[in-house]
Amino acid sequence: MSDITITIKASGDKKYEITFDPSITVANLKEKIGEIADIPASSQRLIYSGKVLKDQEQVSTYKVQNGHSIHLVKSATKTETPAASTSQPQQPSSTQSVPSNISAGQGSFNPLADLTGARYAGYSQLPSASMFGPDGGMNSNLPDPEQLTSMMSNPLFQEQMNAMLSNPQMLDFMIQQNPQLRALGPQARQMLQSPFFRQMLTNPEMLRSAMEMGRQQGGAGATPSFPAPGGASNDTEQDTNTNPPPEIPNFANLFGGANLFGGAQPPADNRPPEERYESQLRQLNDMGFFDFDRNVEALRRTGGSVQGAIEYLLNN
Amino acid sequence: MSLKRINKELSDLGRDPPSSCSAGPVGDDLYHWQASIMGPPDSPYAGGVFFLSIHFPTDYPFKPPKIAFTTKIYHPNINSNGNICLDILKDQWSPALTISKVLLSICSLLTDANPDDPLVPEIAHIYKQDRKKYEATAKEWTKKYAV
Repeated sequence: MSDITITIKASGDKKYEITFDPSITVANLKEKIGEIADIPASSQRLIYSGKVLKDQEQVSTYKVQNGHSIHLVKSATKTETPAASTSQPQQPSSTQSVPSNISAGQGSFNPLADLTGARYAGYSQLPSASMFGPDGGMNSNLPDPEQLTSMMSNPLFQEQMNAMLSNPQMLDFMIQQNPQLRALGPQARQMLQSPFFRQMLTNPEMLRSAMEMGRQQGGAGATPSFPAPGGASNDTEQDTNTNPPPEIPNFANLFGGANLFGGAQPPADNRPPEERYESQLRQLNDMGFFDFDRNVEALRRTGGSVQGAIEYLLNN
Repeated sequence: MSLKRINKELSDLGRDPPSSCSAGPVGDDLYHWQASIMGPPDSPYAGGVFFLSIHFPTDYPFKPPKIAFTTKIYHPNINSNGNICLDILKDQWSPALTISKVLLSICSLLTDANPDDPLVPEIAHIYKQDRKKYEATAKEWTKKYAV
């Protein structure tokens, strides 16, 4: 084959002209370049037409034409790795760690891995790894509701939540993890994708009511009026007859902990109802429900959920 | 029409490519290209080689090409699917633009991100609040995925 002359473009606007027979291998070409460019063949990367040239291939397989240019990139020497694991003491929640990304589909699908990753680096208020106990469960004293509420009302977090719920893979994962949802079949998917459900999960008010409800009602059978698949994690104390909360630790953890709906209980709220339900009562008043006793009763029955209370008031 | 133009761009790119980018057809289909961008030396992406896929619409150059990163990159205007938020790839496209110019624009986007019109708000937030942290993460991703 006749020789061709190409231009090697290296970083820093350096250019080298080189003439060779295109039937040689890329490895041979790299050696030739090494002689003139002072970069060892082993740390050269050659790029032509958007492709990296492979050492064992002939240059001609890439259809390199006379007068064309090939890019030369100096790659890091291979002994440099593994830098990531030793360079800095990493905390599990450190933003330095590169996450396995859901949408990129790398590795096994683990939504929690994503939570600790760089995508979430901005959320200083996210539950950090320190909150997780030795078995991956939550410490019972964390997070406190205020913290959680402020996290939930963070618009960035809500946006993520929306993104998560619109990710079919994530939905499948949630459904798979949850026997009750699985039993529902395709309806589960529909429910999770419904705008109402989404709004419920991203509405701080709603979440707070749900948390309050969980606190008041204790662990067992806690969620009759709240259709979210919130799970208590403590199955030893669960009686199977009382509508056992589904086991979805990942999902529960996403919302800041198993103690959201059950499990470890914060002290019972002993304040009088007008104080405890102050904001909800005000909302109900604003909506035209003026009967204080009925409002309190409705809120009690629904665990402080305004939406549930309205339903109750309208039906009774 | 589009083929003629694509062929012309291809021969221009082969003869005199920009110093930091390169592009060409993946196989025999001239409407599907791949491109590579060398991380600009004055950016946290220095030393990395980032690959992109290019799909030309049949009505090219009257419609913009579809360009996406296939190498993972940590950047406020590039999301985890590799989609690029760049005006000239959308409403500011002009038939006078070429792949070479677009790739150069992407290069300059790597040097100067546009955090005020982010595709990934979290990264933009860090970019604005804690530039060191952004650069460290971008460097680490580059090392992990593009070197």
